[in-house]
Amino acid sequence: MTPQPTVFVVDDDEAMRSSLKWLIESVGLRVRTYDSARAFLASYVPEGGTGCLLLDVRMPGMSGLELQGYLARADITLPVIIITGHGDIAMAVRAMKAGALDFIEKPFNDEALINSIRRGLDYDATQRAQRLRRAEIATRLGQLTPREHEVMNLVTDGKSNKEIAATLGVSAKTVEAHRARVMDKMQARSLADLVRMALVVADATD
Amino acid sequence: MTNKQSFIKILRFVPMPVLAILVGLLAGVVLWAALDLIQGRAVTKIFTSELHVQLELRSRESLVRFDRYIANYAATTRLLANHRRLAEYLDPVIWQPDDNVVPTVYDRFQPVWLPDIFDRYGLPAPSHVLLLDGNGQVREIYQDDEGLPLIELSPEIRSALTKPGGATTILSTETNGVYLAIGDRIEDSAGYPMGYLVVLVPIDAAFLAASQQGLALQRVAVALIDRTEQRILSSIDPDSLTPGTLVTDWEDDHVVTSLSLPHYEHLDLHLATFVPHASVDRMSRHVRSFEWRQRALAALVFILFYSLIIYLVSARLNRILTRMSRFAHRALGIEQPRFRRGVNQLLLLEEWIRDFTQLVLKARQELSRHYENEMRETEALKAAIMEASLDSIVTIDGRGRIIEFNPTAESALGLRRNEALGRLFAARALPASERPRFERLLARSRLAQREGREPHVRGELAALRGDGSTMPVELSIVPIDVDDQSFYTLYMHDITKRREAEREIKSLARFASESPSPVLRVTRRGRIVYANRASRDLLKAWDSDANGHLPSEWLQEVADALIDGQTREKETIAADRTFALLLTPISDLGYVNIYARDITAVRRAEQEARQHQAELVHVSRLSTLGEVATGMAHELNQPLSAIVNFANGASRRLQGPNIDPDQLVQVMGQIANQAQRASEIIRRLRALVGKQPPIRADADLNHLIREVCSFVEFEANRADVTIHLDLATAPVPISVDLVQIEQVLLNLIRNALDALSDTPNDDRRLTIRTRAAHDDAECVIEDNGPGIEPAQMAHLFEPFFTTKDSGMGMGLAISQTIVADHQGRIWVESSPGETTRFHVTLPLRSARTESITDNAT
Repeated sequence: MTPQPTVFVVDDDEAMRSSLKWLIESVGLRVRTYDSARAFLASYVPEGGTGCLLLDVRMPGMSGLELQGYLARADITLPVIIITGHGDIAMAVRAMKAGALDFIEKPFNDEALINSIRRGLDYDATQRAQRLRRAEIATRLGQLTPREHEVMNLVTDGKSNKEIAATLGVSAKTVEAHRARVMDKMQARSLADLVRMALVVADATD
Repeated sequence: MTNKQSFIKILRFVPMPVLAILVGLLAGVVLWAALDLIQGRAVTKIFTSELHVQLELRSRESLVRFDRYIANYAATTRLLANHRRLAEYLDPVIWQPDDNVVPTVYDRFQPVWLPDIFDRYGLPAPSHVLLLDGNGQVREIYQDDEGLPLIELSPEIRSALTKPGGATTILSTETNGVYLAIGDRIEDSAGYPMGYLVVLVPIDAAFLAASQQGLALQRVAVALIDRTEQRILSSIDPDSLTPGTLVTDWEDDHVVTSLSLPHYEHLDLHLATFVPHASVDRMSRHVRSFEWRQRALAALVFILFYSLIIYLVSARLNRILTRMSRFAHRALGIEQPRFRRGVNQLLLLEEWIRDFTQLVLKARQELSRHYENEMRETEALKAAIMEASLDSIVTIDGRGRIIEFNPTAESALGLRRNEALGRLFAARALPASERPRFERLLARSRLAQREGREPHVRGELAALRGDGSTMPVELSIVPIDVDDQSFYTLYMHDITKRREAEREIKSLARFASESPSPVLRVTRRGRIVYANRASRDLLKAWDSDANGHLPSEWLQEVADALIDGQTREKETIAADRTFALLLTPISDLGYVNIYARDITAVRRAEQEARQHQAELVHVSRLSTLGEVATGMAHELNQPLSAIVNFANGASRRLQGPNIDPDQLVQVMGQIANQAQRASEIIRRLRALVGKQPPIRADADLNHLIREVCSFVEFEANRADVTIHLDLATAPVPISVDLVQIEQVLLNLIRNALDALSDTPNDDRRLTIRTRAAHDDAECVIEDNGPGIEPAQMAHLFEPFFTTKDSGMGMGLAISQTIVADHQGRIWVESSPGETTRFHVTLPLRSARTESITDNAT
């Protein structure tokens, strides 16, 4: 039941919007168009809004760069593809630095545009999956007792049971028991699995 | 009356000193007579009484002498009675008591016990010395003189002499004359009482003379007289005063003074002094002559004194008269009376005073007549002044009641004169709050008058108008004293207008002080007489202050301004600030007003604006072409992109299995629309460039060149190129669209600068020349850049032809369009590696005007 990814197009020029919609729909993707950054923000819902954002740099009102900045501050990780006109290279560079996925010059090479969009959609999907898994592991971690948490940290650091028992001042038997419960609660099939989970969480917290 | 007048007439010619002497003499004579009358009689009287006293004194003196002489005798006798020799003599003597004893008489015998004791004391020797026994019987008699008879002592005398008490002195008038008898007790050496010693001395001329020793006999004589018989018993000078004669016989020639002998009153004896009349008269004469001399002296002194006094008085009078007449002559102009010497000054003075009094009276009458006239005139004048005065004039009496009121006061105070008279001024004309001040002013005026200062007092008060409103007035009080009554004349001047004017002036005066810009006033010598607050910074920068002087470099400016009377404007920089100074001379007062304006901000703004403008123009010129191109590109990009998208979308669909022809038709329409849109953009652009109405303005080509050079100055500096200008000396008049021609020039200069970028730094040359030739204005821009390849020359003015990496290829194309639009030409000459010259010609203004005129017709 993953939602259908959507290409969101924000451009003040009507002809541009409709021609983009026409072109992108020709490869079977869903397209939604907005005539301004505000119109997009008004209707966009982050949870269901998977896909990518096609953004014209030059727009009256809120410009493409401003919208990009706004999304970053709101922690919306929608991939952004910037459309620039002739001579807007400097702006495109700024957009890229601010985290845009790609930029495409008008008039478009349709192949390049569609490839770029595909990449954006993939990136979004991966991002979302990763976020989902991280949340899942975090939920499992939340079920551990503080002692179990300690044991898990030491285990994933590659310490043996004996070392752990010495560090914590308990018997190796107790460590054994804690370790079994951690494996169980984290739904880890192997030690390697547990270490991966720990890394995912560490990545997220980094 | 006539007597008196004639007397006075005579007296007029008698000078005072003469009169004084006369009067003095008269007074002396009168005094003399009076003294003679009174004093002569008095002198006689005094002399007579004095004579008596003198005589009595003389006779008393004689008596005293006589008495004392007797006493001396008695004392000597006593010595004798107690003499040792007598006692020794008596030792062997024994007197038997016997009734009939015959005394032993020794004539001319000097017994041994009788020493010459009387001689020794200067006393006449006794005629008889007797020794008596205890019973008084005479036992021995010693007689001095043979001729002297024996004296038979009467029993009375014997008993008197033999008193048991001791010494006894008696006078006896025996038949032979008057004797002095002195008895004393005698004892023998064993102290047995033997009896008595009796000494008898006849009181004769010798005795008297001895007793009156030292008395002038020619002047006075002494005699013993029998009182009852008034007969002389014994005299000091028996030759002239014979004893036995009666006193009365002598009284014709002598003054006789007799006194009783005090110790011997029972004998009825007197001692009398006889003073001859001749002697008395002589004395009297002497006294009278003395008195006369005194009197004469007194009279003389009197005369002298009196005359002197009168003389001095008259001399003084003379002086007074001289002065008075001089005064009269000089001060009053009176010739008469003139003082003359030799007349009576008192009368003259009297006359003078009479005349003078009349003159004064006359003068006073004249004066009073004159004064009355003047008073009448003054009154008339005063009335006229009162009537005509623009000030309100009110006269009030000591109690403050109005007694005079002029028409101006009537209108000012809104009160008819007849209503005003008699009413209290303060109550009617002043509001209650001002009355105490008014009273104080009155009091001050009174005080000033009393102390002899100027009594004129001024003050400013509020007065009441007729309608009850107040007006400021200047009140001036003049006190007048008439017949011990005080009056005050009040002059009231309505100063409403003056106050307003003052306020106006004050507020005007504040202009300077309130001014935010410095305002100063200086004298000819640069001394600052006024400086407002805002000028502090300026003065500080000048190292001066509000009482100081202008810096020396400004003194000449100030002096010049005063000399030519012209306002001048100067600029100065003081303490990093720029001031515009306006020097306005006030020649008649010798001041110069300096109005300073801080124009630092203005100047800075101007400078900034100039800079800014230059930059702006520069930037705009730089970017105009780029902007146009970019805008055009963006505009065209939109429809073109849309067309591309539509076309790509359509071809993808056509490759796919589901083809919806309706959709494709619709998209084709869209594509056509967008193409239409693109062509519209191009059309609009062309319209924008081509169809603008020409703007023409008169300009000097040289000036335009200089301006454009200032735009590119920055770039030229950066490119290390100095632009060399070789411009026509006279202005080159053209009539052009300034912006467009500047654009052309800018393009050409900038191209030249770009062309020089590969030329070595020290060999970069850019020259701009202008000249007017025939009907054209020509401008040549020459550089020594690499030049233009001959192959490129043909395409140089085509659009989008460029040899530069960043160029659009529009500059020369547009320039050509603009120049052509101005009926000018643009062309280029280039020898590669040497020089490149761009020529631009434009019609001179006059030629152009003609052509336009031709077109019009």
